[in-house]
Amino acid sequence: MPKLKERPKPVITPELCKGCGRCIDACPKHCFTMGEMINPLSGLIPAKVDLNACNGCGLCFDACPEPYALERWIEDALAVELEMAEVKPAAENAPPVIPTTRKPLPTAQPLILKGTYASAVGALLAGCRHFFGYPITPSTEGAELMAKLLPDLDGVFVQAVSEVATVNMIYGCGGAGRPAMTFTSSPGFSLMLEGISYMIGAEVPGVFVNIMRGGPGLGNIAPEQSDIKLACRGLGHGNTHAIALAPSSPQEMLDLTMLAFELSFKYRNPVVVLGDGYLGQITGKVNLPETMVAPGIPRWAVYGDAQHRDNLICSIMLSEEALEAHNTYLNRKYRAMIEHEQRAETYYCDDADVLLIAANTPARMAKGAVESLRRQGVRAGLFRPITLWPFPIDLLTPLLEDVQEIVVVEASNGQLEDELRLALSKAHVIDLPLIENVRHFGGILPQQDEIVEKVLNYRVWAS
Amino acid sequence: MSVYYEKFTRHARGEGIKGATTHYCPGCGHGLAHNYLAETIEALDIQDRTVLISPVGCSVFMYYYMDVGNTQAAHGRAPAVAIGHKVANPDAVVICYQGDGDLASIGLAEIIQTAQLGLPITVIFVNNGTYAMTGGQLAPTTPMGMATATSPDGRDRLMGEPLKVAEMIAQMDGPIYVERVALFDNKQRNRAKKAIRKAIRLQTEKRGFAFVEVLSECPTHLRMSSDEAQEWIKEKMLPIFPLGVKKDLVVEPWFDMDLPNFDPQALVDQLGTAEEELPRFSDHFPAHIDTDDISVKMAGAGGDGAQTAAMLLTRAAINESFDATHIPSYGPQSRGGTSYADVHIARTEVLSPAAPDPHILIAFNSPSLMKFAPAVRPGGIVIYDSSVITEVPELDSNVQCFGVPMTEIARSLGNIMVKNIVALGALQSVTELFPPGTFLTAIRSALSEKCALIPLNEAAFEKGRQFLEALTH
Repeated sequence: MPKLKERPKPVITPELCKGCGRCIDACPKHCFTMGEMINPLSGLIPAKVDLNACNGCGLCFDACPEPYALERWIEDALAVELEMAEVKPAAENAPPVIPTTRKPLPTAQPLILKGTYASAVGALLAGCRHFFGYPITPSTEGAELMAKLLPDLDGVFVQAVSEVATVNMIYGCGGAGRPAMTFTSSPGFSLMLEGISYMIGAEVPGVFVNIMRGGPGLGNIAPEQSDIKLACRGLGHGNTHAIALAPSSPQEMLDLTMLAFELSFKYRNPVVVLGDGYLGQITGKVNLPETMVAPGIPRWAVYGDAQHRDNLICSIMLSEEALEAHNTYLNRKYRAMIEHEQRAETYYCDDADVLLIAANTPARMAKGAVESLRRQGVRAGLFRPITLWPFPIDLLTPLLEDVQEIVVVEASNGQLEDELRLALSKAHVIDLPLIENVRHFGGILPQQDEIVEKVLNYRVWAS
Repeated sequence: MSVYYEKFTRHARGEGIKGATTHYCPGCGHGLAHNYLAETIEALDIQDRTVLISPVGCSVFMYYYMDVGNTQAAHGRAPAVAIGHKVANPDAVVICYQGDGDLASIGLAEIIQTAQLGLPITVIFVNNGTYAMTGGQLAPTTPMGMATATSPDGRDRLMGEPLKVAEMIAQMDGPIYVERVALFDNKQRNRAKKAIRKAIRLQTEKRGFAFVEVLSECPTHLRMSSDEAQEWIKEKMLPIFPLGVKKDLVVEPWFDMDLPNFDPQALVDQLGTAEEELPRFSDHFPAHIDTDDISVKMAGAGGDGAQTAAMLLTRAAINESFDATHIPSYGPQSRGGTSYADVHIARTEVLSPAAPDPHILIAFNSPSLMKFAPAVRPGGIVIYDSSVITEVPELDSNVQCFGVPMTEIARSLGNIMVKNIVALGALQSVTELFPPGTFLTAIRSALSEKCALIPLNEAAFEKGRQFLEALTH
């Protein structure tokens, strides 16, 4: 016990005291009484203290809920000053960026992998060593491979209690600056949307690979493109957008998963990789890239060390002005994504007067249809969006000059066509070609022959 | 206290007295719990590595005050967010601070999983018996009979009994330390301080998950003065929520996680990639079957080996530098149902990976043959297991059909598992898709970690070939 003169005694800062009276109750020497005057700054009646009987027991400090209402006054301050000087560890200067580097990969033969595996390998190559997930068909194999490989790479695999927990684990891990991901499928993705909205609001990166299956409800586990609408227009509440990538082969499952991590950290925003159930299961040849990523810890992260102590991951903006400003800022980010990240594959588009538009596995059928139509003398082409959001409208509009018919081929109820129409409308394309479609859902994919037939029927009718 | 920001700039930009006061009502227990937490962080010298998770509820703005790394979580999810932080940086001291609506209602799943996982994470659970932030509604911890905004006539049986969270957490295997404390007098406050200190110290010592439930006064929604509220806790809450240590295990420090490994060689080793190319045997695309794209369907019961055979064929074709894909039928991942696989082999690029009308069908059982054989293209080939299939459906006269006693041959070799390899031998012989070496290389490569099985599989392949050759020559 320090000497009496060295023990801190309470001094009330009246405007910071809310007058709750806990100190009155706590003090064994009855030093405190309730005041009589309203404090003009706080509008509250603060307590009063008379230190004549105070023996510096300190119980009042433990009873006062306000951090700064009771000042610690020490009669013999000098004696304790030296001791106190060491206590406060000062936050260091601005957090340095621990840089992300690329390392050359030893040459290796191509792998033969199924789509979900290829995506998992892409994540590992992108420097993801933290996986959180909940098993759901047809995406589970990706998670299983991560569970197998991560421990030997000193990574972490956590099977969460639900998709809701999953997305929040990604929020924590991504907020700490680490590349984190999950595999999921449609119903699971629905459950993650709230968390994705938080991630976007708080600017937390993370990658969601959604191997879409048939809906609504439990639907089935067969391939569908059921979540284009969710990924492009419905990422939880509020003003949200995220880049949505649509691979169509195991190779692209790897490449686009790697790209997803890069874009996710570039924009501090989640990225969605949308595959269909077929793409998750299909096995094919996959070449490895020349380099892999060794991620650093970004400046903004809440990593839990001195360099990052000042940081905050938070989506709360209480004042109307602050929240509007934040949304304006997010809109600028979305515009940058729209300007810089549109991607598409074009196949025989240059002279096409019939343009097929398709993504994921249906794009493979559409490509077959283009070949078949070309053999029959029809100038058909395929425009395959690789980014579903932002829709690659800037790459599409220059191709439209000679196009008389667009056929949107999709394994959904028109979700891709809606994106196309919205993009055309926003791009002020007024002179629209006829837009037809071949749609299936429930696990049935559009087939090459019916696409060909659709095109030929129109030409018969048009002539 | 240095763990508090000198000025609360996040609280209304720190203007006026808000820069030095909390947003809590007079007499609120949160302020005390905050103080004890701040003192602990200072005393344990962990300010730089502390990550504090603010919840949703009255303590949602905790990040206004604490000069540590801060993350604000969605309602109830703080423990999941905490797991993310802890595994991202095992050296971080991760503290979850949650109220009773947050933790004991919407976030039950997350707290249960995190507690049971047992990682060294500290949860401070502030139980004031009400949803204070939203205006005093019924909480999972509201005492029976108490009137709230959503139980105006008092909590009754239809609203369930109050939830004893500390006891619930204590009976799980994951946590090592669980205590319930209160704030209503000097003695309790002293215990609360010590409990919080201990719960965080156990984390810094890498020992395990610790949980402190704090019975806390909400004078505002109780419509009481703070000393009345203190009395209320004593009289109404204590009988339901008895104070004390609920669990206190002595465990050795165990939590020791390495930082992630980004060594390229380690990754490539994990992927099991071959360093050298496999030998090739074919110098042309098997255009005698189709000029650009050959489709094969393999079908049988689960366990017949259709998927393995399809995968081997795919690997063989890719190794010969063609494009190939394999897509399984996938159902709920249970055994025993039908299992079929579609393979495409293309000169340059496989387009549609499905094979609704294949060039070649291999059927391992009767239902598969009946279902898929009629769809085989004119000019196509059907190979079936004549050991188990006795009846062959009427097929297009242009379709060639070969019965091979795959099961019998495999059994004669001592293992019926290799009937799918017998089938591949037959396939090679009748179609000359690729030379035998292509198949054998794929088989050997797939069995590189089970070398002892290679001779058996080679023999099966050869027997399948021989049977077909004897049949056709």
